Amino acid sequence: MSSTAAKETVSCTVDGIAFEVPKGTRMIDAAARTGVDIPHYCYHPGLSAPAQCRMCLVEVEGAPKLQPACTAEVQDGNVILTASENALKAREGVLEFLLVNHPLDCPVCDQSGECKLQDYTAAEGRPMGRLAEPKRIIGVDDFGGDVLFHGDRCVMCTRCVRFMREVAQDERLAVVQRGDKAVIDTFFGEGLEGNIWADNVVDICPVGALVSKDFLHKARAWDLDRTPSICPNCTQGCNITLQVRDNQVMRLKPRPNAEVNGHWMCDFGRLNYQWVNRTGRIEAPLVREDGKLVPMSWSDTLLRLANAARGQSTGVRSVVSPYAANEDLGAVRRLADALGGGSGVFRVESGEEVVLPGFPQLALRSDRAANVRGAELLGFSRAGDSTGMGGLEEAESFDGVILVLGDDLEDASADFGQRSKLFIYVGHVLGGAARNADFVLPSTTFAEMEGSFTNVAGRVQRFWPAIQVPGMSRPAWQILGVLLSGIIDIPAPARPGDAFATLGDLSPAFGGMRFEELGAEGQPLEYSRR
Amino acid sequence: MLSEHFGDPEARTLEGWEARGGYSALRKALGESRKDIIEEVKKSGLRGRGGAGFPTGVKWSFMPKDSGKQHYLLCNADESEPGTFKDRELMRWTPHQLIEGCLIGAYAIQASHCYIYIRGEFFEATQILARAIEEVYEAGYAGKDVLGSGHDLDITLHLGAGAYICGEETGLMSSLEGQRGEPRVKPPFPAVSGVFKKPTTINNVETLCAVPHIVNNGGEWYQQWGTEKSTGTKLFCVSGHVQRPGNYEVPMGFNFREFIYDVCGGPPDGRTIKAVIPGGSSVPIMSADELDVGMDYEAMISAGTMLGCGSVIVMDDTTDIVKQVRRMVDFYAHESCGQCTPCREGTAWAAKILRRIEDGWGTESDLDTLVEISENMTGKTICVLSDSAAAPITSSIEKFREDYLALIGAGTVETARSA
Amino acid sequence: MTNDDGKVRKIRPRNPGFAGITGEFDLTEAQIRGTDYVGARPLDGGHPSVAGTMPYQLTTRAPDLPLFEGEYLRRLEKVLSRYEDRRAALLPALHIVHEIRGYLPPEAMDEVAERLLLAPAYVRGVATFYTMYNLQPLGRFLIQVCTNISCNLCGADEVLREFLEQTGTEIGEISENGLWTVLEVECLGACGFPTAVQINERFFESVKAEDVPAILKRLEAEVPA
Ligand SMILES: Cc1cc2nc3c(=O)[nH]c(=O)nc-3n(C[C@H](O)[C@H](O)[C@H](O)COP(=O)(O)O)c2cc1C
Ligand code: SF4
Ligand code: SF4
Ligand code: SF4
Ligand code: FES
Ligand code: FES
Repeated sequence: MSSTAAKETVSCTVDGIAFEVPKGTRMIDAAARTGVDIPHYCYHPGLSAPAQCRMCLVEVEGAPKLQPACTAEVQDGNVILTASENALKAREGVLEFLLVNHPLDCPVCDQSGECKLQDYTAAEGRPMGRLAEPKRIIGVDDFGGDVLFHGDRCVMCTRCVRFMREVAQDERLAVVQRGDKAVIDTFFGEGLEGNIWADNVVDICPVGALVSKDFLHKARAWDLDRTPSICPNCTQGCNITLQVRDNQVMRLKPRPNAEVNGHWMCDFGRLNYQWVNRTGRIEAPLVREDGKLVPMSWSDTLLRLANAARGQSTGVRSVVSPYAANEDLGAVRRLADALGGGSGVFRVESGEEVVLPGFPQLALRSDRAANVRGAELLGFSRAGDSTGMGGLEEAESFDGVILVLGDDLEDASADFGQRSKLFIYVGHVLGGAARNADFVLPSTTFAEMEGSFTNVAGRVQRFWPAIQVPGMSRPAWQILGVLLSGIIDIPAPARPGDAFATLGDLSPAFGGMRFEELGAEGQPLEYSRR
Repeated sequence: MLSEHFGDPEARTLEGWEARGGYSALRKALGESRKDIIEEVKKSGLRGRGGAGFPTGVKWSFMPKDSGKQHYLLCNADESEPGTFKDRELMRWTPHQLIEGCLIGAYAIQASHCYIYIRGEFFEATQILARAIEEVYEAGYAGKDVLGSGHDLDITLHLGAGAYICGEETGLMSSLEGQRGEPRVKPPFPAVSGVFKKPTTINNVETLCAVPHIVNNGGEWYQQWGTEKSTGTKLFCVSGHVQRPGNYEVPMGFNFREFIYDVCGGPPDGRTIKAVIPGGSSVPIMSADELDVGMDYEAMISAGTMLGCGSVIVMDDTTDIVKQVRRMVDFYAHESCGQCTPCREGTAWAAKILRRIEDGWGTESDLDTLVEISENMTGKTICVLSDSAAAPITSSIEKFREDYLALIGAGTVETARSA
Repeated sequence: MTNDDGKVRKIRPRNPGFAGITGEFDLTEAQIRGTDYVGARPLDGGHPSVAGTMPYQLTTRAPDLPLFEGEYLRRLEKVLSRYEDRRAALLPALHIVHEIRGYLPPEAMDEVAERLLLAPAYVRGVATFYTMYNLQPLGRFLIQVCTNISCNLCGADEVLREFLEQTGTEIGEISENGLWTVLEVECLGACGFPTAVQINERFFESVKAEDVPAILKRLEAEVPA
């Protein structure tokens, strides 16, 4: 019974295109199916719909009044006109009203270029304003945390209030006063400080009323390149876009994924990106010659390294970073296996888990790196303490091959690796004990390469390169893949998908998965077997 | 009928009210089936006195039957529409008339609890009602197992805190629940999901006051007054430039001109009437030559205005129409809850333009702008407060354009300074 | 009071007036206002059905009295028993604060929030929505003059001006002697008796500008020496 009820559909026409939608579909979602984006402010798919901005009014043939598409459900036979004269006039009216008290300070507004007031006014607004009266002035208020409030730019959509009420469930924002005096505010000085979900209000604010202090005046929206990616900062694996200008990551923004993070992400993850822009990176492969590390071409480096490694059979101790991609970790594992096998560890900082109450499948996870699950599946085990230090004892004094991937070895003892036969360091920066390596191979961060992470729930998700690689750096899977082909004569992976395809041999959980099928939103492990 | 006992302090008390036949209707109702009561109210033709004029019996019949859920009856005693002061008098002189109506209404819609939401400013009426409610609890007309009928009927008096919009039915529900008094989108309609998300019916004070009379005397009896579609009597609140302001109970359909001139004494001596607002500040203004019309819902609509809640505001020839319209729009701007863009911004913007015109700095194109703003405010919002604010603007520009034009270009240094 | 044609029942322009003038009634002021009928209400609110409706005591302020203890707490509990949701007691709870403090200080909003398990910002949002909650201290007498249309037609602007002049204040200010705060308000639901003025919990009706000095005198006389 219930399954047939759930499948019940109604037919409708949106701007002349006839189709069917499930019963109960809102007009705004129905229109989206035909590619029609009905202008809206208060509606947000992750929040309740109060239908108060009145921007989404559409004409429905036979209905006496225009309908708010964000709450009105499609009834069988509805003929919906999103751009009829009446609908356009109503929206033009709403836009004019919104400008009555709006400062129009686009030249200095961070939202400029991605502002719904700008966009809709350009598309559907009046060519000239008629306002002759003075505007109301509210000014700027520091809401605490990363959030700055420009009251004059607010369009009173109350998305921010509803986010804090319904999703963060920490109602620190409220509409105070009423009528045209209404304004968003906190409880006197209390602010948003301390709530790690607060910056989401900046994302959902359709205008420049809530802006990020971190991003303030750093870049114009139209100068940013946006690349789909995965937040590297905890095992949740929130889907994000990396927003880049001049080869620098300027900010992270959540990218909707109903299975992982909904529309949201945490401030800890969001604001923790400076390390991606870090300078002082290793820019060329370095090889120890006469006790000194000297730069060399990739072919010379890998040739020498292959020669040095071939025939080693005392086993390998590896130390890997849980920020590394599945493909990179797989390459480490395969190389280690080829050199006689041996244990590998990773070290990860951990802290308190913080759940997002209104979307509890999202939490800032206690392990603060994206690929802990991937590392575990590929046979690495956790070492060290909750600050991500210690746990190097086994590798430190090992007398076989030591292979380090991405771990800075900051706290390693000065003689780390001194007793090894071969110490290979694959990473980003050269400091501390990494200087003891025989071969130093510059690799890329997740922001500079294509690859995938496996999140805490076992979802494998892809990311794409957003910034240019520094110097001669290469993805670790590629470096180690070429190296391995020089040692045991197998083909080197040409693309990340090739590297990914080999993971099934290392861990059955990856079996049968194809990189190309992961899409932009990822797939659960073993999805093909379900 | 409703106002029979105004000015009689004894009618206020339970004892006095019983002596005047009070609570016989409740006894009678509890002995009848709910369906019969609703049928009788339907038959009477009683229509909501809160402004919209929706047939009360029909509204009651929307309530689910035997839903097993808690149902609620809300009595709307938020009376705040400028020009309206009938509910206050009903409550302060005849609190038991209202309480009896509430109890019967609650019984009819299977509500075991009725909230009377009274505006916070009505201190006197509140205290009187509070005393009266205590009396009915003492006498067993309210509470558990009322009069041995097996039905529980509770009444709670809830005090507002100063917001016109809480008179709007869904705004009232929000407010009663302890929220900002913001109206909600319909659907869902109150009969499906009202206060506390339970099936709810909301009625005006005057509507509920009429109910005991209908139960006692029958629906047909009620129809002896009024017109075919607007039955019964209604309280009209007369204020402004009129010799004898006050509350008048008149059968529906009464001639409006006769009412104003003969019953209320017409304008003050030596003045003539310029304009009349027939149904509270939310309805279109009529000019003096439009008054030959019946005081009922249909006639007023065909005259281009509305009966509203029956608040007659009379303006004589000394009236500065622009100023009064501006004052009304100021009111709506102040009382807009601020959710809907057209209402929040439109009311305040229109008020500013009107103020500028009043100060003599308007232009003729401002009038076109005002009309267009009004259009953009009409029919586009969650509740009709926005439409109400637009009505006096458009109707006054249409009917009293000369008054506006006379001010245009009249700006002086002083008005500029004070503006 | 039925007209000749038997159709019109007229309620005389009932004009309870102020300062003992009872208009057209042959009644005492107490009879008109129902004060004799109501009598004194107990601090704990009396019957739960009406416990949330105690009058504002703007004149008796207790800055240090705990907000929800003893009778006041009992009153709040009675109120809570009448609703299926705790939040519904918010307006009544704010009324209690107002009654004790004379206005709503931030700490009190915070305390109400805690009592009702609500967020302080939420409470502030609600409190600022309603005009009867004053967020700043007021004079002993809060004089609220209706200037809406019906009163306005009959001289409300002059009445307001006279109050401001006589008290020597601007709108919203506390007068130097601490007695007066004058506000302009919207329709008080007494439009037939213009100008309507509400002073603390009392209505003064049919007020003309020339009545203002007498009203202020009468109020002054009520202040205990
Ligand atoms: C802005 C606005 C204010 C209203 N104010 C009141 C009011 O103060 N009292 C009232 O009874 N109805 C008021 N109403 C009408 C109510 O929404 C509702 O229609 C009425 O209470 C229903 O009762 P009735 O059917 O008995 O008339 C108002 C409506 C609007 C849109
Ligand atoms: S601050 Fe932004 S999100 Fe919040 S109400 Fe204003 S426009 Fe909407
Ligand atoms: S929850 Fe984790 S993955 Fe999501 S934004 Fe925060 S740190 Fe990044
Ligand atoms: S029309 Fe005005 S009062 Fe009504 S809900 Fe919208 S903003 Fe509020
Ligand atoms: S998006 Fe529909 S009313 Fe705001
Ligand atoms: S207009 Fe002044 S009381 Fe109604």
